Amino acid sequence: MKRSLTPERYVPAGILLFLLVLPYLLPNPFYVHIVVMMAIFAILGGAWNIISGYAGQLSLGHAAFFGTGAYVSTLLVNATGTSPWITIWLGGVVALVLSLPMGFICFRLQGPYFTIATIGLAEALRLLVLHFREITNGAQGLTVPYKGNAPWLLQFDSKMPYYYIALALAIAVLLLTRRMERSRLGHYLVAIGQNQDAAEALGIDSARAKRRALMLSAFLTGMAGVFYAQYTYVIHPDGAFGLGLSIQIALVAIVGGVGTILGPAIGAVILELFIQSTQILFAGQYPGLELMVYGALLVGIILWRPRGVFPLFQRGYRALVAWLPAAGRAGP
Amino acid sequence: MELTTFLQALITGILMAGIYALVAIGLTLIFGVVRIVNFAHGEFVMVGMYLSFWLWKLWGIDPYASLLFTMPALFCFGVLLQRFLLQPILRAPDLAQIFMTVGLSVILMNLALFLFTADFRSVKLSYSEWAWRVGGVTIPMTRLFAFLGALLLAGLLTLFLKKTDLGKALRAVAQDREVSMLLGINPQRMYLLAVGLGAALAGAAGSLIVPFFYIFPTVGVVFVLIAFVVVILGSLGSIEGALLASLIVGVAESLGILFAGADLGLVVVFAILVAALIFRPSGLMGAR
Amino acid sequence: MTPGKVVLDVEGLSKHFGGVQAVLDLSFQVREGEILGVIGPNGSGKTTTFHLITGFHRPDRGRVHFLGRHITGLAPHAVCALGLCRTFQVAKPFPDISVHRNVLMGALLRHPDPAAAGARANEVLERVGLDGRAQMAAGSLTTIDQRRLEVARALATEPKLLLLDETMAGLNPTEVGEAIRLISSLREQGLTVVVVEHVMRAVMSLSDRIVVLDQGSKIAEGSPSEIAANPRVIQAYLGKEYQGA
Repeated sequence: MKRSLTPERYVPAGILLFLLVLPYLLPNPFYVHIVVMMAIFAILGGAWNIISGYAGQLSLGHAAFFGTGAYVSTLLVNATGTSPWITIWLGGVVALVLSLPMGFICFRLQGPYFTIATIGLAEALRLLVLHFREITNGAQGLTVPYKGNAPWLLQFDSKMPYYYIALALAIAVLLLTRRMERSRLGHYLVAIGQNQDAAEALGIDSARAKRRALMLSAFLTGMAGVFYAQYTYVIHPDGAFGLGLSIQIALVAIVGGVGTILGPAIGAVILELFIQSTQILFAGQYPGLELMVYGALLVGIILWRPRGVFPLFQRGYRALVAWLPAAGRAGP
Repeated sequence: MELTTFLQALITGILMAGIYALVAIGLTLIFGVVRIVNFAHGEFVMVGMYLSFWLWKLWGIDPYASLLFTMPALFCFGVLLQRFLLQPILRAPDLAQIFMTVGLSVILMNLALFLFTADFRSVKLSYSEWAWRVGGVTIPMTRLFAFLGALLLAGLLTLFLKKTDLGKALRAVAQDREVSMLLGINPQRMYLLAVGLGAALAGAAGSLIVPFFYIFPTVGVVFVLIAFVVVILGSLGSIEGALLASLIVGVAESLGILFAGADLGLVVVFAILVAALIFRPSGLMGAR
Repeated sequence: MTPGKVVLDVEGLSKHFGGVQAVLDLSFQVREGEILGVIGPNGSGKTTTFHLITGFHRPDRGRVHFLGRHITGLAPHAVCALGLCRTFQVAKPFPDISVHRNVLMGALLRHPDPAAAGARANEVLERVGLDGRAQMAAGSLTTIDQRRLEVARALATEPKLLLLDETMAGLNPTEVGEAIRLISSLREQGLTVVVVEHVMRAVMSLSDRIVVLDQGSKIAEGSPSEIAANPRVIQAYLGKEYQGA
């Protein structure tokens, strides 16, 4: 049977190709920065989606993992000169380890109370980081010393390499999510999200499944934190551990579509476009206006599109694929 | 450390506990009747604070007098909220309920930021410095008034719930929606009432603390977090539990500030929550 | 079929909630291959007993042994993994996913590979007659189909003992007949079943033996005809609705 070039095959390939050459198509580095941020939020939203989208355990404390990764890596890099290529894994691991006591405490609660517990723990961590300023430099935050173009220190003059690293991570998250979705764990998480008691009665160890999902989610979020620290050279407690970040992470997945593979990535693109537009419109003149619009967006999504944009996207994609011709001979 | 320092912290904690109780009771009321966990509850406090502040700043109205305005204003605000934002999602899954009120919280906080800037505001009154000095311990009048005001309002609410027909109807809906409908009670009206009352109580708490608390856009976050700890500790819906829990939390925060530092007061509160979750997940009042 | 060894041994179970004694010193045994009926007026502790046996509540006192193993206080998923599965009085489907996927969730216990679990789920759906509605969202099923789904999910875990909690409540006589046939067929497959029911006709025709509860205690035990003639049982039900064919 001949392999034919159906739209189902060449459209995703085309998109991938587009993503690979995208930075070269953009007029200036500022635009590259925008797509890097899109990729970062795609990673964060995708990681959040694993525990909160599929299993319905809605965390608003994911900034704790992000900040942990960022701080652990930056402290190590500054103190010992270890390459961030290594500390990115360490940051992820420490975030993973943090998720164990955090999950142990928070999973004792259900529904909105779980969410509150995650907020509380993340806030407590932020306050502790602020407090121990001998280690963390308190409110002033940490900086990654600028070394110019130093690839082994994950520092580049141009934004392009950052883009490709972020893109690779984002694609990795997508692939991991897909793998998980089709595995037994993926099914179990959905069952737990739908009805935990019923899941337990069917032999599903909900505590273990949730724990694993949170570990994976925390690990990926921590890695994203390390990358962000390297990319922006500066981190501080309010940004890295703040509730605002946790809300943004959740928003990405909610706008895109929770419990879907591509949802968070779509949400990241939309949200970043949103942020940039509001920044251009209001030119940073009105403090709070941007975030107010954010909040309104969240309220609007909940009222009118609680499943996010994904169903629309899926319909559009399917229509596109149906409409496009197959290249070459259509085989049986 | 001297005994008086310790006693001072203890008293401050107890006095603040009254306010925490008031906020927590409003939260519990909304949850008990409407079954929605209101993440924007701290913003009700914040709105009350700003309302009282501006009434004082523009027209010299005393914050305690402003209660007559802020409570009805927040009641109406709560009613509108329930009618237009919460009613549509009453039957929706957790995600919708949580993020609706989270979104609302973000809107309100940033609206305040936008309108009033991030500047910390405070109110100066002729009696701001009045204090009762007793055996080395200082009891500021403003804090005492806040405590008493909170107790008064909590007491009035309890009377309302126990003795009036409307209050009993509220409790009926909280207990069993279907049965209360059979009794001719209109649940939608009760939801409006519950959110209105909950908001009014939170707004009142805001007005009561304006004489001694800084006013700024994100001030509500601390209150909603503490209120949640109180509600969880006090067993999710029990008013007696909320009162006892707020005492524990208020004192713990105060002692935490004394021993660990002003910036770690909240951490101590969360440590209490964590301890409670590990050792007694169903709260002080036991399993429901 | 002659009953064989004891598969479930409940000894001295007690549980109170607040001031209410829900179950008091309850003891009974279930033998392999039989269908045991558990009946009693409302509030007699039937569902609580299921909760206690399957780990949803911890008993204050007493012990439960399943296939010789001590299972008191084990988590529900562990109990199911050992081969003891229960359904819920108020059906708890996974509403937003398909009927097939619902059953697949149960099948994953013994068939960790989702593809194999999916095949097994198809078999079970056919057994209970839901294969026509396999792709429907479980939340949109009719009541009787939701009951079928509860049973199907439980069957997918390949239990040795199945606890059915008021499967027939609210069903019309035809549906009751179908349910009776389905449950009887389970016994033919080697399953042991405990059935909690209010529908007297069903319990009487299905059960090999019956245990009667009243206010948390066992007041009688025996064959259906013995129970029907037992004055204490009749007294417990006096004034209560008698649902019969």
